[in-house]
Amino acid sequence: MAKELRQIAIYGKGGIGKSTTTQNLTAGLAENGKNVMIVGCDPKADSTRLLLGGLAQKTVLDTLRETGEDIDLDLIVKEGYRGIKCVESGGPEPGVGCAGRGIITSIGLLERLGAYEDDLDYVFYDVLGDVVCGGFAMPIREGKAREIYIVGSGEMMALYAANNIAKGIQKYAKKGKVRLGGIICNSRNVDRETELLRAFAEELGTQLIHYVPRDNIVQHAEIRKKTVIDFASESAQADEYRDLAKKIEENKHFVIPKPMTQDRLEEILFEYGLMDAVEDYKI
Amino acid sequence: MAKREIDLNIVDVENREMRLGSIISWDGSAEELVQNSRYEIRSRDKRKSVDGCAGKKEKGCRLCELNMPFNQQTMCSHSIVGCQVGNIPDCILIEHSPIGCSAIHARFNLGYKMGLARRGKKIENLQIFSTNLQENDMVFGASDKLRQTILDVQERFNPKAIFISMSCSTAIIGEDIESIADEMEDELGIPVIPLFCEGFRSKHWSTGFDISQHGIMRQIVNKNPIKQEDLINIIALWGTDYFTEILKPLGLRVNYMIDMASFDELAQASEAALTATFCHTLGSYMATALENEYGVPQVDAGQPYGLKGTDDWLRSIAKLMGKEDIIEDYIKSEHERVLPKIEELRKKLSGVKGFVATGSSYAHGMISVIRELGILVDGSIVFHHDPVYDSGKAEQDTLKDLIDTYGNIDHFTVSKTQQFQFYGLLKRVDPDFIIIRHNGLAPLAAKIGIPAFAMGDEHFPVGYDGIIRVGEALIEILARKKFGQVLQRHVKLPYSDWWLSQEDPFILAKHPEILDEIVSEDSTVAEIGVETVIKPEKKVSKSKKATAKSKSA
Repeated sequence: MAKELRQIAIYGKGGIGKSTTTQNLTAGLAENGKNVMIVGCDPKADSTRLLLGGLAQKTVLDTLRETGEDIDLDLIVKEGYRGIKCVESGGPEPGVGCAGRGIITSIGLLERLGAYEDDLDYVFYDVLGDVVCGGFAMPIREGKAREIYIVGSGEMMALYAANNIAKGIQKYAKKGKVRLGGIICNSRNVDRETELLRAFAEELGTQLIHYVPRDNIVQHAEIRKKTVIDFASESAQADEYRDLAKKIEENKHFVIPKPMTQDRLEEILFEYGLMDAVEDYKI
Repeated sequence: MAKREIDLNIVDVENREMRLGSIISWDGSAEELVQNSRYEIRSRDKRKSVDGCAGKKEKGCRLCELNMPFNQQTMCSHSIVGCQVGNIPDCILIEHSPIGCSAIHARFNLGYKMGLARRGKKIENLQIFSTNLQENDMVFGASDKLRQTILDVQERFNPKAIFISMSCSTAIIGEDIESIADEMEDELGIPVIPLFCEGFRSKHWSTGFDISQHGIMRQIVNKNPIKQEDLINIIALWGTDYFTEILKPLGLRVNYMIDMASFDELAQASEAALTATFCHTLGSYMATALENEYGVPQVDAGQPYGLKGTDDWLRSIAKLMGKEDIIEDYIKSEHERVLPKIEELRKKLSGVKGFVATGSSYAHGMISVIRELGILVDGSIVFHHDPVYDSGKAEQDTLKDLIDTYGNIDHFTVSKTQQFQFYGLLKRVDPDFIIIRHNGLAPLAAKIGIPAFAMGDEHFPVGYDGIIRVGEALIEILARKKFGQVLQRHVKLPYSDWWLSQEDPFILAKHPEILDEIVSEDSTVAEIGVETVIKPEKKVSKSKKATAKSKSA
């Protein structure tokens, strides 16, 4: 029997650590013998750097532009850490063209070229900041990713973004099979961050699937163009990512999110986060 | 020989230029084009074994071609989808686009009604609808508008299936017509078929045929066929039903695809004993998909044009049907019937020179017919060229078949209804008449005194009788020569004298820099006309150097 391919999209506010989290988590899955492909859906094309050891990955769209339409798969799919297949969609230069359409073109091309092989266990789409237009929703269309994880932190803007993304997911989930699998907290060391994220996730009807603590070792690994699992395999942080991988592997909790109103979101923020901050100022 | 893989599991179709290596600009002899096409090799492996022009690797499927700096556009895949699935009487097509994409409906309506009349079906108007998108729809998305249109169409017309076609604008904003189609199919209980035919996706409109056929294969064709041993699919357009007459002696009933076919007629395509077509450019995809998916064999022959073409085509069908015992007698009696008349026409048409400008493999058939009538053909145009067809069958290599049977064509051009090139291409060989089927070509020929046979009914030249029909029509067309000559004296073409004096209609592909020089130095058309007839000669030689240099670098 053919294995069931799990297609997963990772969303979250820009700069929150989606790419770092995704690469470390897939490194954890690969360690467990899983066949994984990552499709970077960000015009900046920085979703696979840690897995490829910084090797400049030719993006699908650059290849299309320079080589022409008739592309071999091996030109755009590079194998990285433990055989993880890495693809970067890429995009037009800033300020011109249509990056959203670029993602549609790239994913369409990958399908036609047969990138979604039978032996894959996971495909991860690392999507830029927000679901800003139809193109950036391509990874969660019918027949693509059915699981979504939102990377967040205790910062206010990260939760605003996460709530907005949940609205987008709700729209798709009502019509199709796409579901929210949970919130991943990429800690910013904000006060009462776990409680805040847990409350936020609960309010959305989902779970805080894992809390990834802040650790400078992530930066050290990034400078060396490696995932933490690769760079410091024995470290506690590497185990955090392994934990996250395990939880995603075993996750059964998939929901249609219930995004909250702005007022409700602010209430939660106030209750768990800002309250302390405000009180702190009284000192 | 190897067939193309056709993946009916995915909603997208691989473009023709990617799948077959199709091109739209080329100039040379027919023999050279056959050599370059390397049908045999290309049919085996489209990516590895052919030296093509796909990209820097100098390998790949696409045939090398001349890159024109601009194109006069005439059609696109979206438009083709409109005149394919928009012509199914009990189904509806919704064009998810601003209204401009539907501007051609008036002409399509005419073609549709004529087609219905030719096939003796109830005459009705075209049933294509547009979501008529506005600025706000582009900004906020138009999925709800599409859903509403589907519901309205269902309520008002109760169709057996609804097609949705993607346009450039909706493709750019990423309208998810696939999910909407899935959702509405569940809700309405009829096939709702998304077609990804945005105009910018392929450089040649014939990809639109493949997209239409793909949608029908995926969602209409009967997935549990009960064989009908006397049914033959003929993949066609709007032509008169000559095929029934031709195939009756073999005991076959004709099931025409796609235009004017009903939902049920389309559904039974998988039940047929075999598939054939009047044009492999058109039928290639669906015939191969039916063969791959349901084991419905397709003809091992070219097309039914001219004596040899028709003989081969009938023999192939007879072989597949196990009727080889009767076919030779049938062919013999047909030859005896038509040859005296053909001889007569040959005498009348002796010394006449013709020129064909039509769709790709149809042109190969058309040229066969007029050469069968003894007409000289030393120049012709096809709108694109497929170096191989999906079946990969060597027997279907229609261009090779043409030159093997009737000899080379010195000036064989691939040019996509480019009027501005048409003048030079006609002047080069100076024919007595042209045969066309598409817009914008006959007026140009008429203005330079060449009468045009605008072949509205594309089945006209089919079979043995087709040779006679064409011959008789040509005699009438040639009688209009005087009219053309009078017209020529009184009209002027809208091109500069410089352009009209160029010997090579592809000079702009070979030296695109000429364009900049003329435009920058001589700003008015009048000046270009007077001054530059000699000037560019000098510049060409200069730029030739530049081109050579850039190539070596």
